[in-house]
Amino acid sequence: MNILAIETATPASSVAIGSDGDVLGSAVNVDRRGHVGFLIPAINFCFGQAGWDPADVDIVAVDIGPGPYTGLRAGIATAEAFAAAVGAPVVTVSSLTVIALRAATGRRRIWPVVDMRRGQFAVAPFRPLPGGVAPDGTPEVIKPHDFRALLEAEGSDSLVVGDWASMPESTWTGLHRVRKGRPRYPSAATLIEIATMKAARGETTDVADVRPLYMREPDVQINWKAFREEDAWPR
Amino acid sequence: MNGPIVLGIETSCDETGVAVLEGMEVRSSVLASQVDIHARYGGVVPEVAARAHVEAIRPLVHQALTQAGVHPDELDAVSVTQGPGLVGALMVGYSFAKSFAYALGKPLYGIDHMEGHLFAPRLAFSGYEPPAVVVLASGGHSQIVHVKAWGEYDVLGGTIDDAAGEAFDKLARFMGLGYPGGPAIDSDSEGGDPTAVQFPRALRDRPFDFSFSGLKTSVVTYLEKAGAAGELPPRADVSASIQEAIVDVIVDKTFNAVKATGVDVVGGGGGVLANRRLRERLAQEAEWRGVGLFIPEPALCTDNGAMIASVAVDKMDQGMPSDPLTGDVMPGLSLG
Ligand SMILES: [Zn+2]
Repeated sequence: MNILAIETATPASSVAIGSDGDVLGSAVNVDRRGHVGFLIPAINFCFGQAGWDPADVDIVAVDIGPGPYTGLRAGIATAEAFAAAVGAPVVTVSSLTVIALRAATGRRRIWPVVDMRRGQFAVAPFRPLPGGVAPDGTPEVIKPHDFRALLEAEGSDSLVVGDWASMPESTWTGLHRVRKGRPRYPSAATLIEIATMKAARGETTDVADVRPLYMREPDVQINWKAFREEDAWPR
Repeated sequence: MNGPIVLGIETSCDETGVAVLEGMEVRSSVLASQVDIHARYGGVVPEVAARAHVEAIRPLVHQALTQAGVHPDELDAVSVTQGPGLVGALMVGYSFAKSFAYALGKPLYGIDHMEGHLFAPRLAFSGYEPPAVVVLASGGHSQIVHVKAWGEYDVLGGTIDDAAGEAFDKLARFMGLGYPGGPAIDSDSEGGDPTAVQFPRALRDRPFDFSFSGLKTSVVTYLEKAGAAGELPPRADVSASIQEAIVDVIVDKTFNAVKATGVDVVGGGGGVLANRRLRERLAQEAEWRGVGLFIPEPALCTDNGAMIASVAVDKMDQGMPSDPLTGDVMPGLSLG
């Protein structure tokens, strides 16, 4: 079973291809405005490494977020188009899960962090399992000081992974039971691993049902200051 | 009819448009309009637009291919708007098109949205050939272009503040007429007297440029004064007078360009060209001056996928290269 994985939920974009759980090729680029220019050449590069054609892809795996929307949508549109063109089903994975799976800990509660910009972060707790992680609460989008309060309230040791370096240093002062670690960004190679397990369990999605995980309403600012709201004519 | 079979995708602003062309023949053209969504906000909200595009694009591509009776393998190329436009909106269409083309092993053509508007009349008329003067007016752009040959453009002038469609939107909003403003003012003008109020026609000294900020100020001041004095004329008269002022400016500048260039072909594109009064006035003026007028049906004036594919068909005819795999959107792209 051949999987193409596409990951654009953070400033890092990555693609990987894998067969029966083995990663056969991957490419990463950290550039928060570079997703569109990077993806297809990177996929082409990976295919070249493995001697694949697009038609060799059985499943397209894609990170559906949360993450800054513009890059995220570039990845999702790329995955949808690829899947539609070759008639492949899709496996969708959350960026928080992809980051959490790479966190190296045996016992600490894992808190992956994705910078959503404008001072907000997507976070979610996971608990380590032998050979994996399991969700251990609800994902939310919060400010660093609220995240600090969450960690303070924890009764156990925790490991924060992901883009915690984008939070202010003051978030961590005095939090003695919190450790910070890697990875900073999710990677498509990890996505291959998760997609392989999900596909084996039959957890694939029709391309028609793929949606970004926004977790935040769009910003709507309308500059109508110069104009009156009411009608000049009596109704 | 012969010619390459090309998929065209347009997502630069608030319409997701997808079409299949065979040469210059439109095999299918479908649209997911976001007008109702943006009406809630009184204008296009970029993040809302991008969200709507990502929802609409794959089903629309499927629908366009199905309606055309074309299997993806039968496509000769995929084309897509590369710019100008809203970056987040462009990225959805461009990413989709690029991946679709790559996975199918087809060439990708990134197209200038404005060139698409210049080409759209070709899908409706056979006599529309350069040299020509083309007026492009919508919510996002207002330009007068001298088309010397296909691919060779001289932008003679444009708006120095709001685009024509934007002026309609803001004035309609001020009048309490709703969004989008062009159609709202168009229908409110019905039966109104376009000479009731003389609003200013700005930039008489710059033959090919527009400005609508003076008109806005003038309408606001006029309505405030008339309202305070209890002398508001019928609303239809004010709508008709506003429309006449905008239409006058567009017609004037267009035919200034016709005079200056000596061409005898005039084209038009962009959502504002769907305005009935503008179409009527351009037709009168063209007839009076003996020049050919080529303004297609409103569905080809507003943003659509067919106009994008038509530019790609032409590029293929001319043997022009397709986009590299590293291609990206160009939100600031400009003609010429
Ligand atoms: Zn347009």
